[in-house]
Parts: sequence; C-alpha cells; structure tokens
Amino acid sequence: MIPLPRLQSAETGEFLIKVVGLGGAGCNVLDRLHRDGQGPWELVAVNTDSQALAVSAAPVKIQAGSGVTRGLGAGGDPEMGAQAAQESVEDLRQALEGAAAVFLCVGLGGGTGSGAAPLLASLAGEREALVVVFATMPFGFEGRRRQAQAEEALEALRQSADVVVCFENDRMASLVEPQSAVQEAFAAVDQTVSQSLRAVVTLLHRRGLVHAGLDELTTVLRSRDARCLFGYGEAAGDNRAHDALELALKCPLLGGGDALSQSASVLISVAGGTGLRLDEVQTLMGEFNRHVSQDTQVLFGAAVDPTMGESLSVTILSSTEIAAPLPVRSSVAAEVRRPAVPLQRTARVSTPRPASPPREEVSESEESETSVAAVGGTDLPVRSPDAVVSEAPAPRPRPDARMGRRPGTEMAGGRREARQEQMQFEPASRGRFDKSEPTIVDGEDLDVPAFLRRTPRR
Amino acid sequence: MAREDILVGLEIGTSKVCAVVAEARRDSTMKILGVGVAQSCGVRKGEIVDFDTAGKCVREALADAEEKSDVEIHQVFLSVTGSHIKSFNKRGAIDISPDQEEIRYADLEEVRTVAGEVSLPQANTFVHTLLQHYYIDGQDGVLNPEGMMGSKLEADYHIVHGVRTRIQNNIRCVRELNIGVDDVVFAPVAAAEVIIDPSQRELGGLVIDLGGGTTGYSVFTEGAIKRSGCIAVGGDHVTNDISLGLRLPMARAERLKVEEGGVLFDGSEDVPYITLKDEAGFVGCEVEREHLNNIIYCRLRETFELVKRDLDEGRILSYLGAGVMLTGGGSLIRGIDQLASEVFGLPVRLTRPETVSGITSHFEDPTLSTAIGVTKYAQSVHAPKQEGWLKSTLRRFKSFGG
Repeated sequence: MIPLPRLQSAETGEFLIKVVGLGGAGCNVLDRLHRDGQGPWELVAVNTDSQALAVSAAPVKIQAGSGVTRGLGAGGDPEMGAQAAQESVEDLRQALEGAAAVFLCVGLGGGTGSGAAPLLASLAGEREALVVVFATMPFGFEGRRRQAQAEEALEALRQSADVVVCFENDRMASLVEPQSAVQEAFAAVDQTVSQSLRAVVTLLHRRGLVHAGLDELTTVLRSRDARCLFGYGEAAGDNRAHDALELALKCPLLGGGDALSQSASVLISVAGGTGLRLDEVQTLMGEFNRHVSQDTQVLFGAAVDPTMGESLSVTILSSTEIAAPLPVRSSVAAEVRRPAVPLQRTARVSTPRPASPPREEVSESEESETSVAAVGGTDLPVRSPDAVVSEAPAPRPRPDARMGRRPGTEMAGGRREARQEQMQFEPASRGRFDKSEPTIVDGEDLDVPAFLRRTPRR
Repeated sequence: MAREDILVGLEIGTSKVCAVVAEARRDSTMKILGVGVAQSCGVRKGEIVDFDTAGKCVREALADAEEKSDVEIHQVFLSVTGSHIKSFNKRGAIDISPDQEEIRYADLEEVRTVAGEVSLPQANTFVHTLLQHYYIDGQDGVLNPEGMMGSKLEADYHIVHGVRTRIQNNIRCVRELNIGVDDVVFAPVAAAEVIIDPSQRELGGLVIDLGGGTTGYSVFTEGAIKRSGCIAVGGDHVTNDISLGLRLPMARAERLKVEEGGVLFDGSEDVPYITLKDEAGFVGCEVEREHLNNIIYCRLRETFELVKRDLDEGRILSYLGAGVMLTGGGSLIRGIDQLASEVFGLPVRLTRPETVSGITSHFEDPTLSTAIGVTKYAQSVHAPKQEGWLKSTLRRFKSFGG
C-alpha cells in the first residue's frame, strides 16, 4: 500500500497549539488538562507565585516578574500582575514562539490573571497566532472588587484576543449540588473549562470526515464583542447520539439551547469511535436543527477518532451579540462612501456564506452606523433610522439579532426609542402552554402567539 | 348480535374524548351505533399530561357511548398523536427462489419484515407499516402479487413510528379502566380513512385534520399513503392567542373563537365590533373583529405553512389532483378554506366523515373524523381475517335454528 504523506502530516498537526495557563486559576485548568490525558498541544504555565508554579504539571514554566513580586503572588492587584508580565515580556515572547494558535486559560478577578492576560494575548496576536481566551469570571461571593477587576480585564481581552470564551463561575456552579463542597465547585469549573478547551483543540486538530476546522471556528466566533455559546456533551450507550446532544444543549454556557436560535452561525462537531453510525449523526442533526432557525448557518463537522471508543461527543459553538457599545474606529471612514442600504445588507448577511472573511461583519455594522450618522451632510441613499423602523411591519427581535446588527450601536442619538420598541416582545408569553413541552421549529417557539411573531395581514 | 362485529374507536383528544361504537357489516360497510363524547382535561398537544383526570374523561366518554349504543365496551382501538410521531417511506425487497411456482402469502409477509428492518431511534416503536405498492421484477402497479410469478418481489411501505413510552401512556390510561386496547392508530391515518375515498386517493389528495392540540396531515397519491405527520399546534393555540391578544379569559376566548372566529377580511360582516356581554367574573367589552380575525389568521396561516413546508421537499403538492381536504374542529372556522387554498394553491374542500351509514346526519361532524376513522381503520384491518371452518359451521347452524 502506498502511504499517504499528506494524511500523515495532517494527523501530526499542521500547526502548533500552545495552551497557556495564567495565574492560579489558569494553572489549575492546565493541571486538569494534563491529568485528563494527552493532547496535541504544548502546555505553558505562567504565574507570579513561584510556589504555585513549582507544583504545576506543565512542562514549560515561566515565573513572571520575579523582580516585582519576588516570587510571591501578585496579591490580587492587576497593576502588579501587569508589571510582572511586562518585566518578563521576553520570556513570554519566547515561550509563544512558533505557535499557530494560542489558547489562554485565565481566571479573571485576581492579580496575575487580570493584569497579565491582555498583554499575553496581544503578544500572541503579534505573532499572528489565533488567540483564543478561556476566561472564567469570579464567583459572586468573591466580592465586588474582584468582579470589577474581572470585567475590566475582560474588556481589555476582547480587544486583543480573537475569541473570548467567557465562563461565569456562578452559572457553572449550577453544575454541582448546592450543598457540595466549595472545592467541588471550583473543580467543576476547572473541569468544564478544560473539557471545552479540549473540545475546541480537538476540533481544530482532528481531521474529520466532514472537516470543521480553523476557518469554520473563526467564522462562528470571530466577532470581538460576542458572548460565546458553548456546549459539550459526551455519552455512551445505546442512545448515545440523543444523550450527548442533550448534555451539550444542557451546558450552562448554552442557556438551555434557547440562545442558539438567535445566533447567525453555529458550529456543531460530532465525534465518535469507529462505530459512529450514519443514522446516529442523522438523528442527532435532525434533533439539533430544531433548535436553530432556518437562516442560521450550521457548520457541521464529523470525525472518527478511535480513541473515543464507545462514546460519542457533540461540541456546539456559537456566539450571540451582547449589548455592549462597539468602539468606532476612524479607519473605516473611507468605506462610508459606499452606499449602504440597510435592507440589502440584511439579505446579504443572512445568506449562509461558508468561511466568510472574519472582519467583514464588524466593518459592515460600523459602516452602517457611521453612514447613518452622516445622513445630514451627504446625499447618500440611506434611509433614516425612523424609516427603517416604521417599515419593518412586525417588531421581531430575533431576526435583528441574527443580522449582526448590534443593539448597542443603536443607542446613539434618536435611535433609543426604536430600540425600546423592538425589545418590547422579548419576554414572550406562552399563556397556557407555559409549562408544557415547547414546540420548537427552526428555533421559533410556536407556543408564542403567531401574531406576535409574524407579519400581520394588514 | 355477534360480539366480534362491534368495533369501538376511541380518541383521547386535547379538547374532547370521543368514543365511537360501530357495527361492522360483512359488505365492508359500517353502521354507527352510538357516539360518546366528554370534554377532555389533562391532555395537551394530543398527549396526556395528567393521568388521573384524563382517565376520568375517558371513563365518562365510554360510559356515554355505552349508554347511547346499548353495547358493553370491552375492547377499543385507540388513536394516538403527538409531535413525537414521525413517518418515512421504505422499500423492502426479497428474491423469490426460481423453483418456486408463484408468489405466496408468506413472501408478502417476508417482504414486509424486510422493509421493517430499519433503525429507529432507540426509544421509538413502530405504529404502522402501511403498504403502498408492490413491484415484481421492477414492474409496478401490482396490486396483489399473490399467485403471480416473478423472481424479485419489492414493496414500498409507509412506516409510522413514535416514542414508545408516550404511546404506552395512552394505552395505559385506557387499560386502567379495564378496557383492552386492540391496536393503536395514528390519528391522521385514521381520519383519512373516512375523509378521502379511493378515487381521490388515486388522484392524489392532502387531508388536514385541524384538531384541538395538534394538526395532523396525510398525503395520498396513486392510491396509497405517501406522507403523514403531526404538528403540535392546534385549535388550543388559536384560543391561547386570542386570550393573550385580546386579554380575555381562556373560556371566553374559546367561545369567541367558535362563535365569531373567521379568517376573512372582505368586510362581509357588517359589524366591525363584537360586543361581549358581561358575565359572572367577566366584565363585558368590545372586540374589534378585524383584530380577532387577524390573530386567528396569523396562527392558522402559520400552521398551514408548517404543513406545506413538511411536504414541499418532495414537491409532492403538484401531484395532488383532488386537492386539500380539511377536517377537524378547526375546519369550522369561517373562511378557512380560502386561507388553505391561498397557502397551498390547490382546491380546498371542507369535509366530514362519510362512507359510513347510520344516523348519518348526526355523525357528519368534522370533529368526529378521527374517532370514526379509527373504527373504519379497525374494520379494514380486521376484514381480511378469514372465518375458521368451525365458526362458519356454527354460524350456519345458528341461522338454521334461528
């Protein structure tokens, strides 16, 4: 038999993945990853606390800012963390050398994590590596201050990283029983983070039957101000396809699957051992498609991994818009000259385009926004904001979210009213079907009165 | 009267429980002896959600039917529905050994078994395996291959399956009343039995049963069932929409729907406002007719579009010469035929159970389609059973004596 070198190179991985654990929480996740088994990655532990670093299982360890902290921790001060990272910037740069993708695990809220993460992310970004950050937000009981520090760091990370997958500890705590030990809650968080990280890495690394890789991942996730939806489920047994999907949809980061119907594109990857059957994939996708809307671009990947054995895993990745104002960059001003008719834009964005250039969506929304602002001075064929709203016959919140229009951007000036009108129907009422099993078709809840969801006749 | 000629069809619907007692005649006609109806509680979207309450309703309906028909009910055929029930078509094929003279009955059984060898989702079970067509050596249009010659026998089947436990719930509900369940029938399949006649089946037709909790549909072309399915949206949803949209209590919304509901906007009604009188616990108010109709219109249009979407894939709609047949309680809404014809682009007829004899005018009610259909289905399933020689001799003796 003739060996296929192309395949071999694909299996060994075309690109190098480095997983960096930053700070105490990040290193915990690294340890967890290490304990759960080998992966196609290099682990790098970065910490200011030399004692904590000493017990880390990672093969590469960097002690940041030994001058600033003298081997102690950053003391919960992000300033200190940033200084420490600045001091060891050369070491860090060296450690990231050659990586095509950098996965940064960090617990925000503390000193090292919050302070050093943005810098580390931008260092990796300099090398043109894909930077994916898995950030955990502190528990509510950890206090306001940590929360504020975490928020700040998260904002900074969104600027410098390609993808930020944000885990809220409070939401993940729902995974464990309320009366269980605090230790267990933290462990559950670590486990979820490491599981999802593993799932994403595997997704990138594994050559599937139907390959879903880096390009698909970026299509789904590469918008800087999106909230990441993530679900992972693994099950074995007779009904594993159904069970795995159910587990994945139940993931706390997926919000019970409801959020999926609002996202523009979803990546779903199915992996199983050699016994992966077609009908399993069919059932699974059939069930899954009920949870997304018809316009959603579903990127599907399937892979056979002999190490999976009898189990089957489902990974769901997507993002929804969050209502945070997007900073307008002046560099896009030149594009404004192009006439931007909102309705055309709608049509274009909602049609599925595989592997579209990642930045396009961002620039489009910026473009429309700036053009609206410029209406007074130029004679561009742009509808005034009021016209847009009054012409849309039924206020349907969902399609708007899907179109990639950011609600936050509409806050400016006279658009405030329009936005309120759109949000009005958000807490949809289901009346007597409130407690019955929902009937969902294409991500639309049919129990919600049709006249609220549809265009009235006249 | 001989015991085995009595067939009872039971439908545990979302809005009502309905039991039909019928006498099957030898000339394959049927006479309805009595119909028992009880208001249904504890059923949502065609499936039982409150076991005890639903059980009481079933008991009530059966008692009513017993009283009206003067027959004691021991066994029933039960209709099932729900969004979990799915269907698909499957072809089975077997080789007939060359030394075999002709195709035998056992071969038909075997080809059916082969067609049934499909992998359903683990939790599911077969509800129906309905024959569509036979093919012998690729030649189609064979109605009954028994006794014919050939080397390869193929057959198309329409397979209906659903979640086992959810079907069993319905059966258990009836069995707890010490009533046996002979068989379960998928509601749209049952309704079609009395709604679409053989010539229309040949032409091609779509039967839509607008029920209380679910909307069932079945498609026939070339004389055989091609598609069947169920959407968990029904009249209940219309009532719910009205209740939420006009801020009325559910019971008042239901009455308003039945009395005044329509989907026409041609101004044929002179009064643009409907006055609701105040009753105990309800302050009277005025309702704009157009608003009411719009709410109903949106829901029903969407429901039809969902049905259409399910059928569109195979472009099956262009083969339906006999058009659309509407039945069920929802078909009583004014102007629904126009709406359906707008959506499907086909002629639409409002239908009610036919092809049964009895006190017909009384039973020609579209809300009874499914329950009567179940008895009709029961008759068609039981008809081919040949009488044993012992029984027929006994009967001859009896007629001699009597």
